[in-house]
Amino acid sequence: MTRFLALRFARALLSIVLVVTFAFVVLRLSGDPALTIMSPEAPPEAIAAFRKAWGLDQPIWLQYLHYFGAIVHGELGVSMRDGRSALTVVTERIPATLMITIPALMLKIALGIPAGITAALHRNTLRDRLLMAGAVAGFTVPSFVLGLLLVLVFAVRLGWLPSGGDERWSSAVLPVLTLGLGGAGILARFTRSAMLEVLGQPYIRTASAKGVPWRLVVRHHALPNAAIPTVTVVGFMIGSLIAGAVVVESVFSWPGVGRLLVVAVANRDLAVVQCILLLVSATMVMANLIVDLLYGVLDPRLRVSTAAAH
Amino acid sequence: MSDLALPAAAAPRRRRTTLPLGVALAAAWIVLMLLVALGADWLRPYGITALDLRARLLPPVGFGGSVHHLLGTDELGRDVLSRLIVSIRISLLIAFCATVIAAVLGTTLGFLAAHFRGLAEQAVLMLIDFQASMPFLILALAVLAFFGNSLTLFVCLMGLYGWERHARIARGLAIAATAQGYAAAVRQLGASPLRVYLRHVLPNIASTLIVSATLSFPEIVLLESGLSFLGLGVQPPMTSLGNMVGYGREYLTRAPWILLAPSATVVLTTLAVSMLGDWLRDRLDPTLA
Repeated sequence: MTRFLALRFARALLSIVLVVTFAFVVLRLSGDPALTIMSPEAPPEAIAAFRKAWGLDQPIWLQYLHYFGAIVHGELGVSMRDGRSALTVVTERIPATLMITIPALMLKIALGIPAGITAALHRNTLRDRLLMAGAVAGFTVPSFVLGLLLVLVFAVRLGWLPSGGDERWSSAVLPVLTLGLGGAGILARFTRSAMLEVLGQPYIRTASAKGVPWRLVVRHHALPNAAIPTVTVVGFMIGSLIAGAVVVESVFSWPGVGRLLVVAVANRDLAVVQCILLLVSATMVMANLIVDLLYGVLDPRLRVSTAAAH
Repeated sequence: MSDLALPAAAAPRRRRTTLPLGVALAAAWIVLMLLVALGADWLRPYGITALDLRARLLPPVGFGGSVHHLLGTDELGRDVLSRLIVSIRISLLIAFCATVIAAVLGTTLGFLAAHFRGLAEQAVLMLIDFQASMPFLILALAVLAFFGNSLTLFVCLMGLYGWERHARIARGLAIAATAQGYAAAVRQLGASPLRVYLRHVLPNIASTLIVSATLSFPEIVLLESGLSFLGLGVQPPMTSLGNMVGYGREYLTRAPWILLAPSATVVLTTLAVSMLGDWLRDRLDPTLA
């Protein structure tokens, strides 16, 4: 188990290193920072002085190390728009995003997993067909279309809910619905195929053949095994809590990280974009790590095989 | 022996193609979209930037509009139908190019990994893991922020979507294929690795790769339209389906038809291609997740 954990941890670190490298390479490829920040007409001495001040005259590998060091110390640059630290600009938007992504995640799980299980248990019946048609609709309808349709119906025609903004709690209802319904479709399809895979296994037949009631076969043999792949998808969803609402936040003018990202990309506010990129990859890697640890809990074989290896 | 041979001989007859209604409709819709995309210049009644300021925000025919503008007009009096037709062409073209790029890139990397094994394989696997663990939208937005936007860059960027899935499949299948007799035989005959992979392994695994490309095509359509909707994809004066929805959003209350027509097109097209992809997968390769 220790070796398994160490390996997973090393892989997580490697992913972070890769993202930082990606950001560094892209940043350097996109143009000379000295010319981007200072105007091209600036005197050559001023540009040279700027290069020296920021270490841009040093060899590229040294620059890379410095860049890395700065990120480790949490120095992520300042936002071009108001000169505040990019990290502050980004972190103050996180609560707003979580306010819609966490309820949306709960909605996805509450709708998607039961729907997938029901569909798998009643395979090829009308119920299965209807549920899966709903699931397919859930993920082929793009979130901006679903969001705008909901606005058209509930805000414009019926006037029940606000169409955007964040002044009232009811403003969150439509974004949460939009995010949740789409994700529930994906989760339902995934759960169904995981369940079907498990239900086809010989141990299920064995369990029913020895007279275990079907209800208990499902509860004790099918569900725990189908949980393993489903947890992976849920883990991915948890990892994208911070930036999983880019489009939806834009549709509803919700002041979260996703909206900030879109505005920052449009204004080429590189420090903010880089900060969000690193933050998202860190959450993603953390979520993957947690999923890996959960595997150990859910799948006893993993514990046994690693223990046996020692 | 003859007992064993019988079911095998009977099998092809049983598997005779009877297209399910849904799949037939999906295929028909795709054909229609392809025809529209190919014939866009002949089909569109007006130019996409042709203004008709006296006929602004005209509703579609049947909702109080005129037959001159079947799907109505927008704020500047541009014909929605013409813009829809051209948008279909651009969105499909981008998605098609991107799918091809992703498939070629993924297959090449998969083959390289399968051929060289060792360090090269580990490097490819690491890239696959990395790509699979990051939300693609965020990476794409970061690249667009750093490099600005141009159509070429945008298409290449979309072409990075889903390469990891193709690479994973190509690697797995190529490793399995090279262990089989036919690959060893042509290698013994002196064929170069390039020839073995392109002329012998590729045709044998092509069906699986095509299915996997069909499954990623609708996702690319959604991604492109999402980015264009945000104003970060296809730039005006060009138009794409997502672009039209993003523009129409401003007139949601006064002229919902501007965004409903392209929205319906995106939904039906992605639905049709995924249905076809699912059906192809079930027929050609049920093991594909």
